[in-house]
Parts: sequence; structure tokens; C-alpha cells
Amino acid sequence: MLTKTVTVALVGNPNAGKTTLFNALSGLRQRVGNYPGVTVELKKGSFTAPGGIPIDLIDLPGTYSLAARSPDEMVAVDLLLGRRPEEPRPDVVLSIVDATNLDRHLYLTSQLLDLGEPVVLAVNMVDAAEAQGIKVDCPRLAQEMGIPVIPIQANKGIGLDALTAALLAAAQAGRSPRGVAFPVAFEKEVAALQTEVGTEVPGFLTRRLLLDVGGYTEQWLVAKQGKELREQLDAARKRLADAGIPVPAVEARTRFGWVRPVVAAAVTKPAVRAVTWTDRLDKVLTHRVWGTLVFLGLMFLVFESIFLWAKPLMEMIDGVRQVSAKWVEGTMSPGPLRGLLSDGIIKGVGSVLVFLPQIMILFGFIAVLEDCGYMARAAFLMDRLMSKCGLSGKSFIPLLSSVACAVPGVMSTRVIENRRDRLATIMVAPLMSCSARLPVYVLLIATFLPVASSDRPDGFPWWVPGLTLFAMYMLGFILAPIIALLLKRTLLKGATPVFVMELPAYKRPTVRGVLRRMMDAGYAFVRRAGSVILWSMILIWVMLYFPYSDAAGVNYDDRIAAVEKKKDTAEEEAKALETAGQEVPEEIQKAITDAEEERNAINGEWKRNSYMGRVGRFLEPAFEPLGWDWRIGMAAIASFPAREVFVGMLGMVYDLGDEPGEGGSALPDTLRKEWTADPARGRYAVVVALSVMVFVALCLQCASTLAVIHRETKGWAWPAFTFAYMTTLAYAGAFVTFQVGRLIVNATG
Amino acid sequence: MLLPLDMLRAGEWAEVEEVSGQPGWVGRLAELGIRQGCRLQIVQPGSPCLLNISGCRLCLRPGECSQILVRPVDGVQAAS
Repeated sequence: MLTKTVTVALVGNPNAGKTTLFNALSGLRQRVGNYPGVTVELKKGSFTAPGGIPIDLIDLPGTYSLAARSPDEMVAVDLLLGRRPEEPRPDVVLSIVDATNLDRHLYLTSQLLDLGEPVVLAVNMVDAAEAQGIKVDCPRLAQEMGIPVIPIQANKGIGLDALTAALLAAAQAGRSPRGVAFPVAFEKEVAALQTEVGTEVPGFLTRRLLLDVGGYTEQWLVAKQGKELREQLDAARKRLADAGIPVPAVEARTRFGWVRPVVAAAVTKPAVRAVTWTDRLDKVLTHRVWGTLVFLGLMFLVFESIFLWAKPLMEMIDGVRQVSAKWVEGTMSPGPLRGLLSDGIIKGVGSVLVFLPQIMILFGFIAVLEDCGYMARAAFLMDRLMSKCGLSGKSFIPLLSSVACAVPGVMSTRVIENRRDRLATIMVAPLMSCSARLPVYVLLIATFLPVASSDRPDGFPWWVPGLTLFAMYMLGFILAPIIALLLKRTLLKGATPVFVMELPAYKRPTVRGVLRRMMDAGYAFVRRAGSVILWSMILIWVMLYFPYSDAAGVNYDDRIAAVEKKKDTAEEEAKALETAGQEVPEEIQKAITDAEEERNAINGEWKRNSYMGRVGRFLEPAFEPLGWDWRIGMAAIASFPAREVFVGMLGMVYDLGDEPGEGGSALPDTLRKEWTADPARGRYAVVVALSVMVFVALCLQCASTLAVIHRETKGWAWPAFTFAYMTTLAYAGAFVTFQVGRLIVNATG
Repeated sequence: MLLPLDMLRAGEWAEVEEVSGQPGWVGRLAELGIRQGCRLQIVQPGSPCLLNISGCRLCLRPGECSQILVRPVDGVQAAS
């Protein structure tokens, strides 16, 4: 008995500090559980209580109530009742509540008391409550509620030992609390319904069936047992309404009627609520004008610092990449294998991995903004705008998280109850510039729109790079609501949904929480680089490498090696002369540069004649109006599985065979040289860069996003539609950018 | 005197008298604390408006607010 694993389910309102408590208890031993047929991901953690008893902790999604409205919300209820085959029924339910807002949070706790399982109450943020003059008498609360009550401060790890002890004691005692008493007439109706639906439906669900008008339990049981059940339900609800017990108001009335005296007995509050920091901050941050300005300023700051902070780290990773490529080229003999390793894998995947610091910094910012409670303010500010396009502020949070990655963004649309709104939000979420687009922006901006410096006298004022990046993000922010509006006017017609949202109190984000999010993001990125991106890179490399012999049947590798040899001898000769103190004759210097040029020409010819080059040149007329040559066009096409590939492919296709690390042959320099040297487009290099960026900003180049849209909409029609409209939009956007940009360049000379 | 919630001005307190509309919506608001007998304060009117309900901030649209009938009360927050 003592060594048996104790399963604990963690339940609480959003913003109760549930995730903080979960992380504090389970540390690093976490995993994510997926459930077939639904989109809920439940986190599971395990830890060992003092005395060696293992505890499994299941983190249920934050909710205000157990009244399930959708299959996703039903997962939590089913899991609590032990009706999911994947998980055992929890031994104890751990209810976490916010001490500063007990009245509200105890509503959910009172529903948990009906489950027929032991419940332990953790009163979180007692310190914050005390700072507001709110005192919670936990022993008294325990006495009033009939369950153990433990005060904790999850963010500081205070009270966790007492909590663990209480969980174990409750699991061993196995005594379930008494639920809140509903009116007798209501209980009679529940009993009558119970005989109707049969004993395999737990009593808890029978109550929910009666209480949740149009809720998921009703949909499910009516579908299972037939229309008569709906008639009986309606009749029962009518009888109750006639008796002065209207459903569902009776639940709120009864439960809050129970909560009120409990809180009155155990909690002392100041007569006048103290003005908190949250109030003062909200005065500014939710203000129509100041709040919006702060929001825009903050976003600009975020993008600017991504540039500044990541630079040294990126250079470090790039250095490692170049050194390892050089090492491979130095130790292996020329041939397909060396090419694959050095050009395909190290240069291709490496040029994607360089962006790891930026992605982690972006996720760090998003974690801070979410954890401190600012995201909800941003949603509040944006609701006015969102309501104009028929969506609500709730759609804004998925859109903002799509700035990090559209996959979690699309998944977080689950908080939107209205199906049409949810679909519209899913359709436009991939328009948000995700972190995978960042590498393309960063590379092209750093190459073509740099800050003026001694190295780059042709540069721009200091604010141009940040502003360009900001503009790329704004493109999605502006287009997404417009597209959503069009969708809501046409395919997804319907009334503007009701909107209610809680703005949580501001909290100091924990360093551990933020670091964890950054590490998770970094790990996911590296894993992606090792799978989809790696395979795409190998495929691209193969298409660029073969056929590896020219029309005469001579291998390009051999031709390059021959030229390299010529160059080496010339260089050695020059060196020997130099060390001897003699001047190097012009013929030798010319021989070196000639050899270099010849090698680049061979390389260029090889790439043009490769399978990739042939396809690209065939398709070139389609890229022409966008200002692209076949190489950019093929990079765009090749990055449809994962847009990170774009940068990697540019790295491969513009790699002219310079030995890495030699004279700074980094990708930006090569790109600049190549694009400005192009006779037709050279003048418009900056415009071409912008056109590429606009294309990447608007295009759905991500297989994972398509897969998640398929999963969330349960079909291929919506992902296909999203893909089609975004590709069209991207092409049109790039077209307009290039054509307008060209006119401007021509006009300004 | 009963008013729809969206008629209140910034800083005014009121007691909720009636919440009408679809049962699911009424139940939803009750879970969030907007139910008959509770006190709330308009922090910021407009679209959406910001409410203070026992120290907790909620935002609602005027369309929804007009379905909530309230009785204005004087300044101080009473113990709920």
C-alpha cells in the first residue's frame, strides 16, 4: 500500500498559479500526454514524497468550472472521474485557489467536492493577499469546508512539504468530502434522471446533464440515448423553473450561497480594498492612447533587442559551423559524401541553427509578457480592433502566440468557444510572423539594410533595421484582421460572439519559468532542425549536386580540384617569393584571381546544370515579376516543408566554394556581392530583399502548421484553403513590393 | 432605479439585479462572478469596458453589458 503510486490531479482557475505549482512540485520530470480525438495536451509530472512514495501529478487545463462545453473540456472531467482509459482515476484532487480572490475560485472547488474523491485545497499567493490586507484563516477554512487546506506560495516554494503530506494523508484516508447541498426538488430530478440514463453514467455527470443547458454532457447523452432524453430534460428543467429553481442559475446561486459564509468565517478583508499595483499599472496600460503607445513601443523594443542581444551568440555558432565545415573538407577527399556532409548538413542545417539564440530570446520575451499578465492587457486593447473584424480579443492571444510559433498558436484557439470564430482565427494565425521567419528577415536585413558603419558606408540610420523587422511583423498584424473580416463576411458568416475575459493581477515572472520556456523552445527548434529541416536540406543538396559531371562527362568536383590545385601552386609560389623578400609578379597574382574566378564559374555552371537549377530555370519566368532569379525562387519552393530551409538553401546555392573562414566568406557578403552584381536586378537588390521578406511573411511554408490545422479542424479542407490563400497572397504581396519598389528606385535614380 | 451596465460611468459602483440572455451565457457570467446580488465597479467604460468585481478584472463588450441590469450604489465596496 505504501509504495503504490499516488495519482494527483491539479485543478484550478486560470491565473491561480497552477503551472507554477506544477513546476515547483515536479521539477524537471515532466512529460506531455496526448489524448486521441481531442486537442488537449495534459502535462504529467512525477516526484517522490518524503518516505519514498511516488506521486504522479496531472496538470489539467485551467478552467473556471467543470461545466464542459466541448469535447476538449470534457477530457478534464472524464479524467477526474476515471473515465479515460489512458489514466487511472486520481486518488486525490488538488484544488489550487488564489488567496486574493477566494470567493470566485472556491466556486470550482465546490464543484470538485461533488466528484466523490478526496480533495485537498492549496491556498496560493497568501503573501500577495496579506499585502492587500486580506488574511486567510486556513484551519478555520478547513473546518468550514471539511477538507484539508494548506497555505502556499508556489512561486517561492513555501508550504510545499505540508501540501505533499496533506496529499498523502488524504490519499490514504480515501475519504471523499460531502458536496454542496442543492435544493431537495433538484436532487429529486437528478435521481429521476439517473434511473433514466442508467448506472454507467456517474452521478456527477447526471447533475451536469441537468445543469448545463446545451452543454457537452447533454449533447453526448442525447446523441447516445435518443431524443426522448432531451424531452425529459426540458420537462425536468421546466418543472424546476416553475418551482423557482431555474437551471442553470440554481448552480451559481447554490454554490455561491455556500461559498459566502465559508469565506466570511475564514477570511478577513479590509473594508476598502487597497489600491494595488495592478490598479495603478492598469490605469496606464489599458488606457486607449497610452496603453496602445506602450504596446507598440514594447513590441518595437522586443524586436530591436532580438537583433542586439543575439548577435554575439550567433557569431559564435557560425564560427563553430565554419570550423567544422573546414575540418570536414580538410580531412575527407572530394566526392559526394564530403559534399553531403560539408555543404548539405553542416552548412545547410548549420545556417539554420545559427538562429537558435534569436528564437530563444523571442520565446523568453513572450514568456515574460505572458507570465506577468501583460498579454491579457494587450488582448483587451486589441478587442476594439478585433471586434471590428467580427472577432474578439480572445482571438488576439492565439495570434500573439503565433508570433513565436503558429503551432501552439493554432492550438491555443481552443479558448474560443464559437466555432466560426475559432476557424477564422486558425485561418489567419499562420499570417503572424513566427520565429522561423525571423532568420530570413535577420539575414536579409543585416545584408541589405544594415546600419551605416565604417565597414558599411552605404548603410542606413540606426533605426532602419529594427523598423524593417517591425514592419514585417506588422504586415501579419494588419493583414490577419482584414482576412479574418473577409472570412467572417463570406465563408464563416455569423453573429459577433459574446466576449468576456479576465485580466489577471500583475505578477513577477519567475526566472525558472521563463528559462524553462526558452529551453523548451530551443529544444523544439533543434529537434526540428534535426528532422524536417535536415531531410529537406539533404534533398536540396542532392538536387543541387547531381548530375555532377558536365556535358563532356568530366566531374565538376575534379574540375574544381584541378583549378584549386592551380591556385594553390600559384599561391605557394607567391608565398615563397614573399618570404624571400621579392615582389610578387603580376602574372602570379593574376593566376590566383583567375583561378578563383574560374572555380566560381565552374561552381555556378554546376549549380545551374543541376536538377534544381534546371527546374529553377524552367520556372524562372514565374519568379521574374517578383524580381527573383531561379536561385531565390527555388529556395522559396524548397522551403515549403519548413521555412527555416530558406536560409539554409541560400547558404548552399550561393556557396561559391570559398573555403569557410577565409576572408569572411559568410553568407551575407556573398549574397550582397551576388545580388548587386546581377546585371538586371543589381540596382534593386534592396527591393528584391524586401520582396523576398514579404513573400516569406505571407506564405504558409510550414508542414507542421498544416498538420496542426488538419488536426484542429478535423479535415483537409481548411488546411488546403489556408495554404492556397496564403500562397496567393504571398505571391501578390511580393509582386507588388518589387514592382512598386522598382518604380521608386527608378524615380529616385 | 435599474440601468443596463453600459450606462454606468467610470468609477461608479453598482449591484447586479438581473442577467438575461442565453442560459449558457448567463451561467458563464455567473462562474466569473457576475450574478444577481454581486457588486461591481466600472473601471473603464467603452468597448470593451473594464469591470472590477471583488478585486478581479473582467472585460465585456457593450452589447453584453446591456443584458446586465444593475442598480447603482454609493462609492464604497460593501462586503459581498
